Amino acid sequence: MGAEPAQLSTVASARASTWRRWLLRYEVLLLAVLIVEWLLFYHFGTTTNRRGVTVGFGTLDRQFDILRHSCEIGLLALALTPVILTGGIDLSVGSLLGLCAVVFGGLTHALGLPLPVAAVVTLLVGAAAGGVNAGLICQLRLPPLIVTLGTYSLFRGLAEAFTRGSVTYSDFPAGFLMLGQGRWAGLPVQAWIFLMVAVGVWIWVHRTFSGRAFRVIGFSPDGARYAGVGVRGQLTAAYVAAGLIAALAALVYTSRLGQAKADAGLGYELFAITAVVLGGTSIFGGRGTVTGTLLGVAAIAVLKNGLATLPVVMRMNAAEELAGLLTGALLLAALAAGKLAERWRRSPAG
Amino acid sequence: MNRWIRELSVLGVLGLLLALLAWRAPAFFQLQPLLSLLAREAPALVVACGVAMVILVRQIDISVGSQFSVCSVFAGVLAAAGWPLAAVVPVAVLAGGSLGLVNGLLVAWLGLPSIVVTLATLVALRQGLNLVRQGEFVNLPERIQWLGLPQAQGQWLLITGAVALLALLAWGLRHLAVGRWVYAVGSDAEAARLAGIRPRWVTLVTFVLMGALTGIAAVMNVVQSPQVQPLTGSGLELKAIAAAVVGGVAISGGRGSLWGVLAGLLLLACIAPAMVHLRIDAYWEKAIQGLIILAAVMVEGVRQRRNHGR
Amino acid sequence: MAERPLLVFRQITKSFGAVRALRGVDLEVRAGEVHALLGENGAGKSTLIKVATGAHAPDSGTIHLAGERLERLDPALARRRGIACIYQQPALFPELSVAENLALRLEPTSAWRRVVWSERRRMAATLLSRIGADIDPEREVRTLSMPEQQLVEIASAMGAGARVVIMDEPTASLTRREQERLFGIVTALRREGVAVIYISHRLEEILTLADRVTVLRDGQTVACHARAEVDEAALIRLMVGREVDQLYPASESAPGAVRLELKGLCCRAAGGRPVSLRVRAGEVYGLAGLVGAGRTELARTIFGLTPADAGEVWIDGSRVSIGSPQAAIAQGVAYVPEDRRRHGVVLELPVGQNISLAAWRRIFPLGWLRGDRERSEAEHFVRALSIKTPDTDAAAANLSGGNQQKVALARWLATRPRVLVLDEPTQGVDVGAKSEIHRLVRRFAAEGMAVLLISSDLPEVLGMSDRIGVMRGGELVAELPQGATAMDVMSAALGQTPSEGAA
Repeated sequence: MGAEPAQLSTVASARASTWRRWLLRYEVLLLAVLIVEWLLFYHFGTTTNRRGVTVGFGTLDRQFDILRHSCEIGLLALALTPVILTGGIDLSVGSLLGLCAVVFGGLTHALGLPLPVAAVVTLLVGAAAGGVNAGLICQLRLPPLIVTLGTYSLFRGLAEAFTRGSVTYSDFPAGFLMLGQGRWAGLPVQAWIFLMVAVGVWIWVHRTFSGRAFRVIGFSPDGARYAGVGVRGQLTAAYVAAGLIAALAALVYTSRLGQAKADAGLGYELFAITAVVLGGTSIFGGRGTVTGTLLGVAAIAVLKNGLATLPVVMRMNAAEELAGLLTGALLLAALAAGKLAERWRRSPAG
Repeated sequence: MNRWIRELSVLGVLGLLLALLAWRAPAFFQLQPLLSLLAREAPALVVACGVAMVILVRQIDISVGSQFSVCSVFAGVLAAAGWPLAAVVPVAVLAGGSLGLVNGLLVAWLGLPSIVVTLATLVALRQGLNLVRQGEFVNLPERIQWLGLPQAQGQWLLITGAVALLALLAWGLRHLAVGRWVYAVGSDAEAARLAGIRPRWVTLVTFVLMGALTGIAAVMNVVQSPQVQPLTGSGLELKAIAAAVVGGVAISGGRGSLWGVLAGLLLLACIAPAMVHLRIDAYWEKAIQGLIILAAVMVEGVRQRRNHGR
Repeated sequence: MAERPLLVFRQITKSFGAVRALRGVDLEVRAGEVHALLGENGAGKSTLIKVATGAHAPDSGTIHLAGERLERLDPALARRRGIACIYQQPALFPELSVAENLALRLEPTSAWRRVVWSERRRMAATLLSRIGADIDPEREVRTLSMPEQQLVEIASAMGAGARVVIMDEPTASLTRREQERLFGIVTALRREGVAVIYISHRLEEILTLADRVTVLRDGQTVACHARAEVDEAALIRLMVGREVDQLYPASESAPGAVRLELKGLCCRAAGGRPVSLRVRAGEVYGLAGLVGAGRTELARTIFGLTPADAGEVWIDGSRVSIGSPQAAIAQGVAYVPEDRRRHGVVLELPVGQNISLAAWRRIFPLGWLRGDRERSEAEHFVRALSIKTPDTDAAAANLSGGNQQKVALARWLATRPRVLVLDEPTQGVDVGAKSEIHRLVRRFAAEGMAVLLISSDLPEVLGMSDRIGVMRGGELVAELPQGATAMDVMSAALGQTPSEGAA
């Protein structure tokens, strides 16, 4: 009974420190980093040229560019968030993007299907490919890392086989290209798509029981089973959705570039995983938010595009490389800081 | 013999493939192209050995492709600057070893998940290299081509060198206490700790060794062509992991052998040329590789479940 | 018998939070004797073993080995000093061979030393034959059966020159023949001058093997006798000790119609045997038995975790089929599992989310999270069960054991079950929370639930149950009415009819 007063005082201090906890939340810290990053680029990356026109980071066009270029990787990161929350991983989303782009190109060009039909079929192919991952992982209980490594190779290989490595589908109708190049209500069209998916995934993960189940499975698969959570069903949903969103990303990609090739989205999975983990989602599952993922995507995108506007970097012509280097370093720093903070938090107690 | 069943079954599949080739496309067995094929795969074999050992301690390293590129370019630059090969090799090994040390410290000392750590170093090293080199090729001096030997002899030397290295490592894994510790830590780190083994130390050593092997592999790569292109080695991590998994190294750690990795790599390496000879569209290569990986992991899953009863 | 004792424990105490697991245990073990340690589940045997092997540090008291005081004992030091423990679940390297498992523990730990395989095999073969185990040193440990793995552990202890070997329920999963072989090994160890601390629930084993018996009860040593001084009846009396001295809430309602009926139910795939029983609405049916008697397995089958492949389940007079926990929930069956921290609650999850986890279909219509409904539901249970938590957003990990258990209970009450299966609901829970849980269980019954109470705490089963079923070896071997004595239950659980015990 002696423990009771102590517990009561925790109640009080818990309430008092709510705002502090909120401030120290990972997402808030990441948002602060993002804002600082943006302001720095705005300050150093915006110049006025001789004709008095503002160029560089501060222009609206540049901001739209950032949006356009981050949509596909952003979509993949959204696709991966539920999967990683369950403690799994999907390395195959980049390859699937390539496969779906090629499938879409083939359906419209070789088979001459109307665009909406081809788009729907492509989405179904993506979902089915996600289903293959899900089947191997949930039904046969194989490790996600190796299964999706296999399908990483398989999906890309199928894309190469279909196009014999060289066929590039282009000449898409202007209506379709709108999707990746046009604007609607002031914003790039794919930004709206991205926003919709982001809201959808956010609602799924944070507002439905399914999202709750992802966390529980990530924390403790056994605990989930004993609580009567349908582990297989939830995992299947996460992987199938990842496939579906990767297919959607393929459509956006194809439309933005106006062409579909087998190497579409090569290496995107790495950036997507980086964005998710940078966004504070634990690779072991259970912890993480969609907001964090969005901030992670934004931090990477702004870094990449912002660096390109800095005069120093422009002279070196090394924006992408510098961004990659900094992203890797940022990821390691975030992880190490988290780990050290955890140790430091535990050491006085234990 | 039961111990080798997995390795033998991979060899069996390889044998079937070779038999099919002998029957349908005997041209595959011409010495020179075959020699070139094997020499091209020699660096991958050395890297795959390192990756296999990392998997044996129940970790993963997906940054080997980037490490390989960095070491290749580094070795190339040194050679181009007039360094003798005898000096380039140890420096490349040292460079690779220190890259492995970084991964190893982050994983073993800080206890970060190896998949994320090596994902970060994959991106950082790749982009760092591009930043420094701007995609520039390194032109290599004539004298280090094929280690200064005639091409065929050089190829033979590379192949035997890689296999000898594998044999040495396999011997060490089997006959040195530290080699057995790799298996023990991968099998059950806590039980290993109770048996007086330091799991962190073993993990660290494995990562450093992995890096050093990548350094050697990079030199083996550099001497095969007149130029080093900075993109060399991208995707190598997947090839190495695939070779290990196909060769029977369990991703859950503690089980598998380097001889299996050799069999797995040979199988994967033969697919592309075999397809050319069998007049199968070469673009199916990756898809077939993917299917082989999936088949291997499925076989493994079934085997595991049978062994665990029920 | 004037030998100096080899291992001596004096007044060992150990508490976990509010739970006093050991309250002054004395134990003296001599070289070359088999010393049986006896006690009900929860009497403190496992805690005592963990103190002996250095896994837990005692709060007070002393340990002497061969006259020398052992301080700051840790697992490594204990092993160096020759204290070895054979657990029920051996801690071996599953992927490695038997010979290598032995070698890794026994060979010096210098990294660059050459491994001589022939030497390893010879050593393994010698050790295995010394304990009379017929195991090929080349075999991978994961292909060995559990008893074979125990033999490997024993061989490793022998190889390390253990002076004290602790065996924790070594025969729990053994066949008759394997048991006999183990007894031969224990006898051989004794002959070699090793002190064997032998923990078992099987009295006949203890009476055949042991030279002396120490009985623990409620974390205290109650008696230490030479084999010749005791018989089974005496031992059971010592273990059970007092009559039920705690006050248990009285049954408030007359049991109604049969609510749960099992007809030959079992999951053969999980090694179960058919069980038939009936529980009425408002009845608390206690399920007693020793650890490993198959009670948890039965509960898991009822709940659909290991779906039944034979027999039938009837609830409220209609036959139901339960192929998964989800189906069980739909049929109004709830199961509060034994391992609270791994299965009962999700430690990382807030209290409120833990409570709503199983009843989500009711609390979240269409799977749509509703913070308000979740909070009011959680606050209702926090009040009703008086769960002590700062708020419903606190992680379950921050709560005490008893309050975690109440959260686990709340999770299942929220599903409004017709049948409530409780598996060791008060294990590791402090006294206060324990009697609160007892009162709650009574109330659930009074509300009309059929309660199946699995408990190894004898007074609890006796005090709480309207009827008691006793399981042994996967089967229901006895059904006793309210008012049965501890002797009756123990006798049935140990496989002794009272008359046999007297004989």
